[in-house]
Amino acid sequence: MGAVTGSVGETLAAIVGASRMQEGAAVDGTFAVDGVLPRWGVRVQTLEHVSRVLALAWEAGLAVVPRGSGAGQELGAPPSNVDIVLDLRGLDQVVEYNPDDLTITVQAGVTAGALTARLVPRRQFLPLDPPAAEARTLGGITATNATGPLRLRYGTMRDLLLGVKFIQADGVVTWGGARVVKSVSGYDVPKLMVGALGSLGVIGELTLRLHPLPDAEQTWLIPCRDAATAQEFVLRLLDSTVQPSRVELLNAPALAACGAPGSAAAVAVSVGTAEAAVKAQGEALGGLGRAVGSAAARPAQGFWSRYAAALVPAQCVELGVATLASKVGEAIGEIERAVAASLSGVAPTIGGSAPLGSLRVVLPPAEPARVKSIVERLRAAHAPAGGGVTVRRAPRDVRVAVDPWGPVETGAFALMRSLKEEFDARRVLNPGRFVGGL
Amino acid sequence: MVSSIGGNVSTNAGGPHCLKYGITTNHVLGLELVTGTGELVTLGGKVADRQGYDLTGVVVGSEGTFGLVTAITVRLVHAAQAVKTILASFTDIEDASEAVSAIIAAGIIPAALEMLDELMIRAINEGTGAGYPKDAAAVLLIELDGPAAEVEAQGERAARICWERGALEVRVAKDNDERALLWKGRKEAAGAVGRLAPTYLLQDAVVPRSKLPAIMRELREIGVRHGVQIANVFHAGDGNLHPLILYDDRIPEELERAKAANEELLHACIEMGGTITGEHGVGLDKAKNLPLQYADADLNFMYRLRGVFDPDRLMNPGKLLPAHPACGEGFHPPRPRLPQGAWI
Repeated sequence: MGAVTGSVGETLAAIVGASRMQEGAAVDGTFAVDGVLPRWGVRVQTLEHVSRVLALAWEAGLAVVPRGSGAGQELGAPPSNVDIVLDLRGLDQVVEYNPDDLTITVQAGVTAGALTARLVPRRQFLPLDPPAAEARTLGGITATNATGPLRLRYGTMRDLLLGVKFIQADGVVTWGGARVVKSVSGYDVPKLMVGALGSLGVIGELTLRLHPLPDAEQTWLIPCRDAATAQEFVLRLLDSTVQPSRVELLNAPALAACGAPGSAAAVAVSVGTAEAAVKAQGEALGGLGRAVGSAAARPAQGFWSRYAAALVPAQCVELGVATLASKVGEAIGEIERAVAASLSGVAPTIGGSAPLGSLRVVLPPAEPARVKSIVERLRAAHAPAGGGVTVRRAPRDVRVAVDPWGPVETGAFALMRSLKEEFDARRVLNPGRFVGGL
Repeated sequence: MVSSIGGNVSTNAGGPHCLKYGITTNHVLGLELVTGTGELVTLGGKVADRQGYDLTGVVVGSEGTFGLVTAITVRLVHAAQAVKTILASFTDIEDASEAVSAIIAAGIIPAALEMLDELMIRAINEGTGAGYPKDAAAVLLIELDGPAAEVEAQGERAARICWERGALEVRVAKDNDERALLWKGRKEAAGAVGRLAPTYLLQDAVVPRSKLPAIMRELREIGVRHGVQIANVFHAGDGNLHPLILYDDRIPEELERAKAANEELLHACIEMGGTITGEHGVGLDKAKNLPLQYADADLNFMYRLRGVFDPDRLMNPGKLLPAHPACGEGFHPPRPRLPQGAWI
């Protein structure tokens, strides 16, 4: 490819303008992926830019890594090669907001914070709250399927993405889904873009379903003597008529990081609805707490921001453990034992949506071999129930030592490989980062 | 009428409760599928977080063209503590539509929000005797469910909104028998139109909710243009229309007129930013309408996607994807332009 280098740069400069393209030694550190600088760094401003850059990469056989805020760049395996890094933050326009229909169409580089600012005057919101969401782009949140506690009530991006415009590996601009809240015309293409790390197409534009902000909202903390009791409380709550927005289970280090009173474990519950109903459900929660020998209390203001911060310290290894609501207590014990066996003196910070069995485990940076043994032990423990363990965030050397995704069922993986082969046979889009090296 | 869970998965079916609870796909955690090549694959499962592409999500709604779905894992929702049903009648369908928007703007997401138009009200009044006010040009059926205190507070507010928008009458069901009575007319709507015409074409299309008054005006005009009556019963909360185009199948050219009105109606929905099917699927009849909503590039992607699951295109042939003159490779998207340059 050496002979081509200069002229690829010229073509890129012709597409996006010389000031928005960096080449070779001039590429600055902000374009680095896992510490590796690409040969070209490109800042796009239109979907047409993305289309033409990808068409060029397709013809020239170059690998393209799309990026938004960069918050999700430690998800997945390190890319097998990086020729062009495509910075999508310039796609920052709201295309169409229809408050009466509770829908909005935005470009992929719009941040969740900018979206919130636009929606709050109409008392609407996009109920996706991954840690540090404000600075993240909606394209990035979609590509990494980032979630937070509100997923319990409102679902994930899978449930909120109505339509998507994406650019295929060969540069063809494609649209799937609809701009209304209910549609079944054609295949449900948007589902393929959620959590796919841009490996089937670069997300350009999103049509999202919005929700009204609840009139009132309150949070309670139910301290428990151990994780098993916390699980019992959660199961009783699920079997009640209370309709919570968030139900997160925290272990002792997570509680400490939130500045909450110490206990072995606790469940944090929020309810958002009409004021009288918030109060009534609070009383019901009190009753459910007493049934497991606990007293529900109100945490200090700002609990959910402190909780989000506790789960994203500056440097860490973050694991996702997927299990069932009826097994979360057991899973927490297993995680604590697995960590103790490999990292003496380290207590993992554990939180997550207990009713969905979706746990997050935060560890301090550690030797790759030790993380590997923790992950392998947990994978062996969770495989029988259909659960899995993913490395959601870790320094590069950890993600080289451990397959961050873990095994995928053979038949399903064969279909995934065919999908990638069909839509990106030249492996232009984020090669090597997705499951099974796709 | 009964429907099977497999059929719901195949069409990604909806119904009156979607506004609050979503459609089929929002509840499906996993599937077992026999693909077009005869492989039995397990997609997703009981655990919520999965690695890899969301194949479950793309099989739901594929109308049997990817393979046979043989087992389904769904998420269940706890039955609500309380249910409240309200029936509001209006003299003008625009007032009723505004009430719908105002209820949602107030942050209330009802479990159902159904609307009947004047012609439908007349058919029901003559048929089942649901007792809707004679002067009503629109009837709105609002059902709230959830914690008792929430249902109580939101029910009062929804009723107040209806009065503020000029409702002729607002009835609130006091018990289950009264609830059943309020629903009776809605549930018998399709049968009641038998009083107006022997046959009808039932359509399923969607417009953005804010376009409901505009599409109702448009439907009246389409009916006049083609000399057919169009009765409406629809899921107003999500803009999902179900116009019944009435005709007499004993008169040969009436079916043609109904079909012409039907095509025009779909075009009108697309013009307003909607979709050609909200919950019943594409099937055979609407495959030809898919290009109204999608460009060649989009259809090409769908065509190739189907090939991943069913390379020989054996499963449910002719459904969902339109036939193309070029058959096989069809739907060539235009290629992006590259600048003139010497990079090759």
